[in-house]
Amino acid sequence: MNDRSRLLRWYPAAWRDRYGEEMLALIDDEVGGGGPGLGLRLSLVRHGLAERARTAGLRGPSTSRDTDLRRGALLVLVAWSAFMVAGAGYSKASEHFNAAVPAGVHPLPQVAYDVVLAFGVLGGLLVLAGAAIAVPGFVRALQEGAWPVFRPHVVRAIALSATTVALTLPLALWAHQLSEQQRNGGSAVYSAAFLGWAALGVISLAMWTAAAVAVGRRVELSPRALQAETRLALALVAAMVVVTVASAVWWAGMAAYAPSFLTGAQHATAAAALFNLPLVVAMGIMFAGLALSSVGVRRIARA
Amino acid sequence: MARQRPTLRRQNDPPVLILASLADGPKHGHALIKDIATFAGVELGPGALYGAIARLEEQGLIEALAPVDRRRPYRLTAAGEAALKEVVRDMHTVSSVAAGRLGLSLGGLA
Repeated sequence: MNDRSRLLRWYPAAWRDRYGEEMLALIDDEVGGGGPGLGLRLSLVRHGLAERARTAGLRGPSTSRDTDLRRGALLVLVAWSAFMVAGAGYSKASEHFNAAVPAGVHPLPQVAYDVVLAFGVLGGLLVLAGAAIAVPGFVRALQEGAWPVFRPHVVRAIALSATTVALTLPLALWAHQLSEQQRNGGSAVYSAAFLGWAALGVISLAMWTAAAVAVGRRVELSPRALQAETRLALALVAAMVVVTVASAVWWAGMAAYAPSFLTGAQHATAAAALFNLPLVVAMGIMFAGLALSSVGVRRIARA
Repeated sequence: MARQRPTLRRQNDPPVLILASLADGPKHGHALIKDIATFAGVELGPGALYGAIARLEEQGLIEALAPVDRRRPYRLTAAGEAALKEVVRDMHTVSSVAAGRLGLSLGGLA
């Protein structure tokens, strides 16, 4: 794949097959001999992801109330997946924080952390409840021969998850032999391996989410079941809002009471502690998830 | 596959601009972008243009012709021409009402 073709990798394969060649010709006409600028690249990412969302049934003109409710709930599910990624980053960044800020002295970070944990678990339970409600429809769909539609998604998700799990044990054994300093950025090789493993985990989660969306848009749901899914989605959005606020409060509390924990430096200021990269990324993903879920909520409200 | 009901909205929507551009004959992507920039002052990027082309084709409002050297021209279908006429009539109604209320002559605005 050359550089020009790579520009279209954000688009679905079927879309690339149909429009890819002529779009690349258009890009050649537009940019001439020069390379595509950042603006054009970002525009192609945005429109490519929009096409993917359309292909997945998450976007498109409203055709019925049922479709809108379903799309809204599935968008919230996708947002929750982003939250799980952010949660993993937050969990790593907050490891052993209570040793730096004893709860008896400054209770705020501990309280905020407990709220994040409680509402994170609540969110997981809401998703499981939503999955349980969809089970009868899923079974009916399988009986009616829908497996070939679901199979590519499920097979990809299983293969990636199996790879991630298979790599977990050697990575854990390796980590066990390293010092805490080496595990936390001291060993470049270990850090690269850890990031690769984490990326595989994120891709696996994305594949499972894609599988859930593929199932969710096709299974037959009774009006009552769809209403229940919608309510669960709205409750999940509320949980995500609480998790985001509590994470920010935890961060602010740690920056105020133990900035060194977040910077790694012995004498750090609260302002410096606000530029903790993993937390910036985790909070950025949370806000992106909230923005996506707000699109889902608007769809549900419109229906 | 059942075609979706056409959903054309504002005059600056990429689908409306594309239909307007194709009203005087077939054009490929680059020619569309240049024409739309000239008559509407709107700079459509390749992503926005092809997103709109895909929707219009799905709705049966435009159709692709045989490619010429990697560039595929598009033309209006009969349904596309009807949809564009409807949009033009809607715009005319709105602009006539607005012009009347402002005491303007539409002919003098051009």
